Amino acid sequence: MVRDQAGHIVAAGLAKRFGGITAVDDLSFAAGPGQVTGFLGPNGAGKTTTLRMLVGLVTPDAGTATVSGQGYRALRAPGRVVGSVLEAGGFHPGRSGRDHLRVYCTASGYPLARADEVLEITGLAGAGRRKVRGYSLGMRQRLALAAALLGDPAVLVLDEPMNGLDPEGIAWLRGLLRDHARGGGTVLFSSHALLEVEQLADQVVIVSQGRLAFQGTLAGLAAGGTAVAVRTPEADRLIGALARAGAQAERTGPDGLRVTGVLAAEVSRVARAEGIDLHELAPSRASLEQEFLALTAGQGESPAVPASRGGQVS
Amino acid sequence: MMRLTAAEFRKVLTTRLWVWLLLASVAWTAGYCALAIAFGDRPGGLAPPLSTAAGQHTLFAIGAGGAGPLVAVLAVAGVTGEFRYGTAAPTFLATPRRGRVVAAKMITYLLAGAGYALVCLAVTLAIALPWLASRGIHVTVAGRGNLGVLVAVVAATAIFGLAGAAAGTLVTGQLAAVAGMLIYLYVAEPLASHITALHGWTAYLPGVAADGLTQATQAGVRLLPPWQGGLVFAGWALALAAAGTRVTLRKDIT
Repeated sequence: MVRDQAGHIVAAGLAKRFGGITAVDDLSFAAGPGQVTGFLGPNGAGKTTTLRMLVGLVTPDAGTATVSGQGYRALRAPGRVVGSVLEAGGFHPGRSGRDHLRVYCTASGYPLARADEVLEITGLAGAGRRKVRGYSLGMRQRLALAAALLGDPAVLVLDEPMNGLDPEGIAWLRGLLRDHARGGGTVLFSSHALLEVEQLADQVVIVSQGRLAFQGTLAGLAAGGTAVAVRTPEADRLIGALARAGAQAERTGPDGLRVTGVLAAEVSRVARAEGIDLHELAPSRASLEQEFLALTAGQGESPAVPASRGGQVS
Repeated sequence: MMRLTAAEFRKVLTTRLWVWLLLASVAWTAGYCALAIAFGDRPGGLAPPLSTAAGQHTLFAIGAGGAGPLVAVLAVAGVTGEFRYGTAAPTFLATPRRGRVVAAKMITYLLAGAGYALVCLAVTLAIALPWLASRGIHVTVAGRGNLGVLVAVVAATAIFGLAGAAAGTLVTGQLAAVAGMLIYLYVAEPLASHITALHGWTAYLPGVAADGLTQATQAGVRLLPPWQGGLVFAGWALALAAAGTRVTLRKDIT
């Protein structure tokens, strides 16, 4: 493992076609330690194919994907470097969750007791000896995560890990992934739901039609849409101050403004310089969603994607 | 490789199929032995007279040898199950060097085949030795070439396991692979091997070559001599294994 690349995921020029269909096209992005990176895009944008190329299950037609500076298939103990949660099952229905984990303990040379430890971590200790046939979708997600954690890896790659989890499970998983990143680990997770990514990710990689549409922070994405939501008791003064700074502001309520033309940081600077209190300052959700939809236009399963208020974009 | 083979054994043993197929193998063995001994010595019976060496060989070869195709089914179902249930993904995530995984599977089912054969041979001996002794026929395991037949049965059943695993890597649809295997071994090959005009080459078909190895003689079927049958059968298994490994290394797990 190359030291200064430890924990870094780098995709460079990845491309993959299945039959006549281009799934991924010249896709480059990076994810690093200490951060949760959201891999966002509509269904069918090539997220799953990309993640599978990252972990050596799918061979790219072009480009490379490395983890800690090496291709996955070249890693000596892959389970100790990368833990993966992939979509769509991966369990024999007639095998217990605990036996499923013990199979991979044996294959990777971990002590069998590690299976019980990860069952404990993922809240499945009580269900470990039951056959997977009887597991709910949420329990299967937890079991997949348990398998990913077996080798205590620094890098976690997860494909739609929130699918099937109940709200409590989602909150738990969010905490686990955030803690993992805070502890210096790398987290790359895919999602088709902007809200999920917004609540967890430090940075986002947005794909559309297999191509990179955006990489950066969500604040940066919203700035592209140039709208910032502000609440202040001195709305009129702030409108004037912002106008002098070259921004436009319109009222959205008695103390609410929608500011366009500058980043949130600039709004904050202007307000402080004028001694104006701010009660809220945020990249506007509506604008974030509009930006996301614009980036992925015409990509969803449905021909016309409504700019819904629910935050779920599919 | 030890680790991976142990992991593959854990996969086999933590689901139920191996138990059912072992019970089916034992049932076949016990049933054949009972029928052969009860009716075999009558004119037009199942086998040559059991007082002869040929009769005793057939008892072992067809009785215990019946486990072979069932081991092939165990292997083909096990390997294709990895694709059916998507466990191929975690398997190749844990061991990205797929050639090693495929090799471990083949070793596992080779050994499983030997295990099935030993159980079925024990059942055969348990039934045949006392029953035939009561008729004054004394079978000795080491005598009259019997030991060679026992070894051949173990080898043939083991190769059935290897060949089944290899076939599963080539045809990964579980239903197609298992049904195809059953139709081939229990319908297509027996039909073809009974056609006298085709005897020139049917002896070289995998299952018929395996019968040559164990000398599971049936009226109207031409068999190769044991060593030749063994080589041909092993050759088939290794060719399937090589082709299956090649396919698996290139396969996209989607």
